[in-house]
Formats: sequence, C-alpha cells, structure tokens
Amino acid sequence: MTGTLTVSRDGVGARAFTDLGTGVLGVAILSFLLAVTLLLQWTGPGTEVFGVTVFSVLGTGLLLGGLGLVVEGLVSRAGVVGTTPDHTPGLVTATVAAVAAAAVAGLFLSQTLGWEGLWFVGPAGLPIGVPAGWSPVALLVGSAVGALTATAREDLGATLPFGGLVALGGALIATGAIGVGWQWNLHDVSAVIHGAQAVPFLAVVLSLVLTWAAAKAREGFGAQGRERAAFMFLGLIAFGMLSVLALVVTYITVRGAGRAFQGFAVGLDGIRWPFVTNGTTFGAETPDGVYPSIVGTVWLVIGSVLFAVPLGVGAAVFLTEYADQGRFTAVVEVATNALWSTPSIVFGLFGYALLVPRIGNRNTLLAGMLVLGFMLLPLVIITARESLKAVPDEYRDASAALGVSRWSTIRSVVLPAAMPGVITGIVLGVGRIAGETAPLILVMAGGLNQDSGSLFSPDLLQGGQALPYKLYAIITAGISGSSEFGWATAFVLLLVVLGFYAIGIGSRLYFRRKLNE
Amino acid sequence: MTGPPDADDRPTDAGIGAWLATQRRRSAAVVGVDDLDGRARVLATVAGLSLAATAVVFLLAPGYTLLPLAPFVAIAGYGWIAYQSSTARILTFLATVSAVATLGLISVFLFVQAAPVFELMGPSILWGSGWSQAQEVFHLGPMIWGTVMTTVIALSIAAPFGVAGAVFINEIAPDWAREVVKPGVEILAGIPSIVYGFIGFAVLNTWAKIEFEIPTLGSMLIAGVVIGVMALPTVVSVAEDALDSVPRPMKDGALAMGATDWQTIKSITIPAAFSGISAAVLLGMGRAIGETMAATVILCGVTERYPVPLYDPFDCTNTLTALIAGNYGAAHGITLRALFAAGVVLFVTVTVLSLISQYVERRMRRRLRGEA
Repeated sequence: MTGTLTVSRDGVGARAFTDLGTGVLGVAILSFLLAVTLLLQWTGPGTEVFGVTVFSVLGTGLLLGGLGLVVEGLVSRAGVVGTTPDHTPGLVTATVAAVAAAAVAGLFLSQTLGWEGLWFVGPAGLPIGVPAGWSPVALLVGSAVGALTATAREDLGATLPFGGLVALGGALIATGAIGVGWQWNLHDVSAVIHGAQAVPFLAVVLSLVLTWAAAKAREGFGAQGRERAAFMFLGLIAFGMLSVLALVVTYITVRGAGRAFQGFAVGLDGIRWPFVTNGTTFGAETPDGVYPSIVGTVWLVIGSVLFAVPLGVGAAVFLTEYADQGRFTAVVEVATNALWSTPSIVFGLFGYALLVPRIGNRNTLLAGMLVLGFMLLPLVIITARESLKAVPDEYRDASAALGVSRWSTIRSVVLPAAMPGVITGIVLGVGRIAGETAPLILVMAGGLNQDSGSLFSPDLLQGGQALPYKLYAIITAGISGSSEFGWATAFVLLLVVLGFYAIGIGSRLYFRRKLNE
Repeated sequence: MTGPPDADDRPTDAGIGAWLATQRRRSAAVVGVDDLDGRARVLATVAGLSLAATAVVFLLAPGYTLLPLAPFVAIAGYGWIAYQSSTARILTFLATVSAVATLGLISVFLFVQAAPVFELMGPSILWGSGWSQAQEVFHLGPMIWGTVMTTVIALSIAAPFGVAGAVFINEIAPDWAREVVKPGVEILAGIPSIVYGFIGFAVLNTWAKIEFEIPTLGSMLIAGVVIGVMALPTVVSVAEDALDSVPRPMKDGALAMGATDWQTIKSITIPAAFSGISAAVLLGMGRAIGETMAATVILCGVTERYPVPLYDPFDCTNTLTALIAGNYGAAHGITLRALFAAGVVLFVTVTVLSLISQYVERRMRRRLRGEA
C-alpha cells in the first residue's frame, strides 16, 4: 500500500469515501424499513418491486451494503483518506463481534452440518448435560474473532466482522438459501420456523448492525463516528418502538371504528350514536351497543373516586401537614408505594373472599367500586402527598405570620396551591381503573347481556357490566360471531381510557408550564 | 438506612411506666390531641370508636354496617360546625388510620387465607407440579415457572428498547420532538391490558399457530411479547424521568472538557441515572409479573405440569395471575385458599421488587444531591 499518500478530509478520495458511506447508510436504513414492512405483513414474500421479489431486493441490498462496509474499512486502513480511527474499536464492538461469530459458527456446525442436538432432555423435561460437541468450537471461533476485533485498529475492527456478517446474511437471503421454502424444525421445542418469518427478523437485525457500523465509518470513526453511530442506532430503535405503539392504537381504530360509528348521525334532533346508546337489542333492525357497559364504567369510576379521594387526600393532608416527618410517615410512604404496584388480581381476590360474601353474597357493583377504590387509594395518597410537599414552605410561613390558624392555612393556601397536582393524579388513576378488568371478573361481573341500571340510579347491589369486562366476556364467549363487536368495544374502551390519560397529562403540562412562568 | 433505635425508646424494667407514659404522649402528639379542649377530645374519641365499630361490624355482621357509622357522621357534622379546625385535624388523622388499616387488612387477609395451604403442601408448593381439586394437591411450580418465563421474555423486550427509547427522547431528540413524544408515550402507557390481550388473542395467537405450526393456540412467547410491549411505555417514562433528574452541571462539566455528546451520555448521564433506570426496569418487571388479562386470554391455562422441555417458549403453561383469574369460579374451601397462596407469592414478589426499586431510587436522589 502507498503509505506516503496522505490526503486531507476534503480531497477527492475523502469525498468519495463519504459518498460511499452515505450510500451504505442509506441502504441500511432502507433495508430496515423494508424489513419492518415485512414484519408487519404490509408486504409479503410474494410482493414484487420492479419485477423482483422483496426478499431478493432485501438480500441484495444487505449483500452490497456489507461489501461496501468492508471496502470502507480497507480504504480507511490504507490511509488514503483522512479518517480518525482509534487504536481499538472498543470492548462493546468486540463483544458484539464475538457473539455474532459464535452464533454463526454454532448454527453452521449444529444445523448445516448436523452436529448433535442442542441439549439432552432429562426425565422431567429438565435440560441436563452439556451441549454437544459443536459448542466448544463455536466458543473458540467467537473468542478468536472477538480477540482479533479488539486488537485491530478501529477502522478494521468496526467494519470487517460486521460487513462480513451482513454480506453473508444478505447472500443467504438473496440466493434464496434462506427463503420462502426454507424451514427450520426445532425438534425439541414444538415449533417450526419458516423462511417467511426468519427473513424479516434476520433482516431487521442485520440492517440495524449495518446502520450502526456504516454511520461510524461515514464519520471517519473516532469519537465523532461513535457518536453518530450511537445516535442513528438509538434513533432507529426509538422510531421502531414508537411505531409499534402507534400501530396498536391505529389497528384498534381501523378494526373497530367502523362498527362503533355504525348509524352515527348528527341531526336536528341531536346526536344519534347507536353503539353507545343501545344495549343488547335482540332485534335485527337496531344494532347492538355497549350502553350498559358504559353506564357501569361511569358508576364504577364515580364510586371508587368517592371512596378513595376523600380518604386519600385526607390521609395525605395529615401525613404532610400535621404528622412529624419521621419513621411513621416513611413507613406509610413505602407501604403505599408497594401497594400501588400490587397486581390488580390480588385486590380482586381480596374482594372476592372478603367483600362479596358480606355484600349480598353475590357479585355487585358496590363490591366493584370498593375494590377499584382500594386500588386507587395508594395512588391518591402518593400523588396528593407529592403535590402537597411541592407547595413551598414560604406559603405556610407567610400565612402563619399573619396569625392564620393551621387549618385555615391548609384550607385556603396549601390545598388550593396543591389542587392541580392532586387532580392530575386522580385523573391518571381513574384512567387506569377505568381500563381495569381482572378484579371485576371476580367481584362484579353480571351476565353477558345484563343491564347496569340507568345512568341516573345505579343498582348498587346487582352485578353489572363495564367496558373492559365486556371485552373479556366477548373473548371468553368465543370470537366466532362477535369479532366486529369486540373490536368496536375495544375502540370505545381505548377512547375512554386514553381520553382520561390525555386530560390528566395535558393538565399536568399546563400547570407545570404555568408554574415555570 | 435507619439507625438503631434511640436508647430511650427501649423499655427497661425500672422505667417501664415512664416509658409507657412517653409513648402515650408521643402518640397523642402525633394526633395532636394535646391541643384539643375537653369536649373536642371526647368527640374525637367517640368518632374514632364509632369508625372502628363500623369496621368490626362490617366484618362480623355486615347487615348492620350502617348503624355504628351513623354516630360518626353525626359527630363529624357537628364538629365541623362547632370546632372546624380540630375536626379537620381529627378527620384527616382518621382518614390516615382508615387508609393504612384498609391496606394493612388486605395484606394480612391474604396471608391468613393462604396459611393453611402452605401448611398442607409444605415448601414443595413452590416447585412441585400437580394441581388437583379432587385430591387436594396444589403445587404452584408450573405457574411460577410460567410467570418467570413470560416475565423474562417481556423484559428482554421492554428493558433494552425502553431504556434506548428513554435515552433517545431525553438526550438525542430535538426539543420539539420531545415535547410531542414524551406525553405521547405517557398516554400510551394507559392502553388497558385487556385491549392488548384482545389483539394477542384474536390476531397473534392464530398467526403464531399457523406460521410456527404450534400444536396449541396460545404460547408463552406471544404472551411474553405482548406483555413486553405493554410494559414498554412505563419503562420509557420512568427511565426518562431518571435521566432528566441528572443535574445539568454534571453534563456541562463533561462537555466543557471536550467530550462529545455521546461520550457524556455514556460516561456521565447513564451512570449517574443508573439507579433510576434500574428502578424503571424493576417497575416494568412488577407490571409484567402482575399482568393478568393478557396472560389469561392468550395462554391456554395448563395448571398441572411444567412445559416440556422446560425452556420451550412455544408451550402453553399458565401464570400465577391467570391461575387466579381462571379458577376462582369453581374454587371454594381449600382450593380458594390455594389461589390465595398464589396471591401471596405474587404480593411478596412484587412488594420486594417495589422495595428494592424505592431504595435504589432514593439512593440515586441522595447521590445526585451529593449527600453520599
């Protein structure tokens, strides 16, 4: 190689190097997006782009991207472009390379060459013994690659192993070696992995690896390169995560909104919304709705708030304003935090064994209210205490200096100042209990089509409906006839619960901003 | 955390009377009864007694619950008009006592109900397998294993993605994106679990059965993945708060030394917020363990045996939560108590997790304030 030729970063060679880097990075991100569409089944193995199947496009892209990365590493090592690599690619990079190499070697030896199964399976289904002969070899390969990577200069260590890995994977996909007809029978666990699922998963992993390595190379390695690589990688992951969450909401809306808004009309005589205002109609001409469940949910929320809020806020006022801050308040705080994370089904079990036999010995709306109230209580105490503590002591001191009594200070100074926080906490808690199902199955559930009394007079001592329970009842009744109805119920439930959350979080932002002004 | 008790807290033989008097004075000081005049003190006592009587009557003869409650309401109403300030203090104290008593009752009740089953089965209840109402054999082993499996799968999704998301939102995303994404994620934390369960049941179960040729409908893998996605916003939100609480000057110091943003994040911000981030993961773990509905509707509820082989994520076992939700209906007597045993295992696990995460979080706050 020509060690004498040194070119600064603005030379022609350096520009070509950056261009190649941009190209590889672009291929990596496009492959990631394409693989995600495959995972979500927006495209399938049969989908064609310009007459070529998606799998071929993906495989070829990854193959070229991987090779491009290798070229970048070699060019940078040759010293013809002004990159700034470190002496070593770092421990994280070496570890990733080692794990990848071990996995490739292990899979090749055990699956392609058919070298012994994964585990010996003992009598009770317990995996005993050691993995068969291939595993030491795989470990050896892994450690060798890891050691080589760790000792190489950064521009080689951060490109060659990963470029090679991605190119190998791309070649397997492009040639159809792992493709539509391919399948992997996991003998000891009862499943078969087909090419149609394996390819998208493989492609997502490979394209993430390629993005990371390519971003590093494009910036010329070093601290700048690592920063760019980390930001790209985290960005793609965050994007993927948010897309999944957004997809959940979108999916429910798409499947459920049609049925939920069936017959919806705004006329002179008001709004007509059969799905929300009808119960089970037993008639063909009017569509069924979830009116009883909505009424039940409304009353559940009202009942649990009436139970938990006075008790919780009262306790918070005492603990914060009157009691000495010491062991007692600390213990109460720890206990309420622990109870807030206690699974809802445990509260349900408590209600089932203690409340139900004492309230009419049947499932009742009242029992449901009380159990949800118990669940809400710790949150109200926690958030109310936090808001009360956030009120500056100057307020209390100023009021006391004017000769105002303690209770008057609390009533007219401290509580109003803490109110926004308290209300926000309650709204968020209500959002959670409005979507709560598990305890209701145990303590409140009536028949599938039972009413919950009217909107104005609840039947406290009867079983009732609630939106989340209705959805559960639809699931247990079998999906056959009522799939659409189920999606519509899920949609309305989502509207109600996310509505509470949006109000709570919106008001918290509003008050926080107002406080900061 | 808390030091040894003060010397004067410990009763000695000689000073026991004086000690009792101190304690009484102290508890009176907590309530603030000392400040009340005679009549108010009587009213406070009667109100408290009537409330206690209400609780006892509800537990023993629920039909008459409202009778002892009546004097309390009357006293509270009279007191509010006559001695508002004292009444407010007494009422908030009684609210505290009731809240603590209620929450304490729930915990104690769980243990009391479950005790006979732990006695019947011995410690093997935690790892043995076999569940039969007829033979009165109740082993929780398979359910505990199912909970462990689904939780591990869920965490392997929620922890890395959640933390990565939090780092991105807090440190990398531009301001306008953070303003939109942070509240968005918090709202998404509210999606009810039954909705996730419905998606898992109606879409993913069938998909997995066809695509992976799984013999049963419903597998721990699907349940774990769904629970992981469900716990994701919680982890993101709490981890982001932890990153946000790292004081600005700490980061500025690193940047001033010429570190890049990423070096600052990697070597300053994340280590400083590490406790808070692990608290976030523990919280997500608590949610995953306690998740009921998704597990109930996705899994098929095999209670008698471990999966074969043990690590098979495509097999269909059961979780502790789904065991309770699925079996309470036919349960009475000792079977119901066995469900309480499952509740106790859940309660203890989640409480321990919560205690650890609270401790870790408090330690982080102390450290960031430079006190330790």
